[in-house]
Amino acid sequence: MILVVGGCFQGKKEYAFRQFGIRPEEAADGALCPPEAIFETKMLYHFHEYIRRSMEEEREFSLEELLEKNPGVVLVTNELGYGVVPADRFDREYREKTGRICCQAAQAAGEVHRVVCGLGTVIKHG
Amino acid sequence: MLILVTGGSGSGKSEFAENLVLRLHTKPYLYVATMYPFDEECLQRIQRHRAMRREKEFDTLECYTGLKDAGTEGYGTVLLECMSNLAANEMYQEGGSGDRCVEEILEGIRRVRERCTHLVVVSNEIFSDGIEYDPETRRYQRYLGEINCRIAEMADLAVEVVYTIPLVHKGNLEKLEERR
Repeated sequence: MILVVGGCFQGKKEYAFRQFGIRPEEAADGALCPPEAIFETKMLYHFHEYIRRSMEEEREFSLEELLEKNPGVVLVTNELGYGVVPADRFDREYREKTGRICCQAAQAAGEVHRVVCGLGTVIKHG
Repeated sequence: MLILVTGGSGSGKSEFAENLVLRLHTKPYLYVATMYPFDEECLQRIQRHRAMRREKEFDTLECYTGLKDAGTEGYGTVLLECMSNLAANEMYQEGGSGDRCVEEILEGIRRVRERCTHLVVVSNEIFSDGIEYDPETRRYQRYLGEINCRIAEMADLAVEVVYTIPLVHKGNLEKLEERR
């Protein structure tokens, strides 16, 4: 698994397409795709939105299950948590949950890329 | 040594900082806890951190304001967590230093550092979510931003943690053991 992180509107998705030779039609949008798409797709972007939906729909997301079923997946996520503590409880829980899952994902990942201004830096090497 | 560990919320910076203390291996260890237990959610966070520290041999000192007079003598390594809470407490709690919090906190950092071999300060990146906050929250961001910058100036090592991965902005993490 490869994890790509960065702020919003930084060109993460395009970077991942280029970097890993993935075509747009081979990728799934975490904000819209069916839950099980994550187990089949080459790349899932908006992974933070996927986590948010799983919380809203009360499905427990399991990184272990993902690694077992789709070990080569590229996960693209916004890097959350660089703001003031949100006033809304769900927002706080979402930020916390996404952080913990992304920490686990970064630990399990073969590579972690961080994208700023469309430029990627490999912060964990395979 | 003075070390600054910063990062976003939920980035794994606390666990990283604790493991840094273990790597420095200069006992005894003191954990300076700054989160005031306002409500159940705070208590849960405090519990989670306590569980992480279990078996790491830290004494714990609660310090919500007035760092410069906190009883941190007699320790090899002091881990202060988290600057974002300490700054908010100083600004808003009764008995806090309010407008003078930047200088008060920096004086506290200097004093704690003089009394121990290593001081590790955990802080928080709250500066880039693109939301225009109210003037009071902006003031809090400005104070914490300044505190972070000033500590980084003094620090031997400054690390930003991104989802458990350390990005070194100042100093050399690989040579940490040589600096014990």
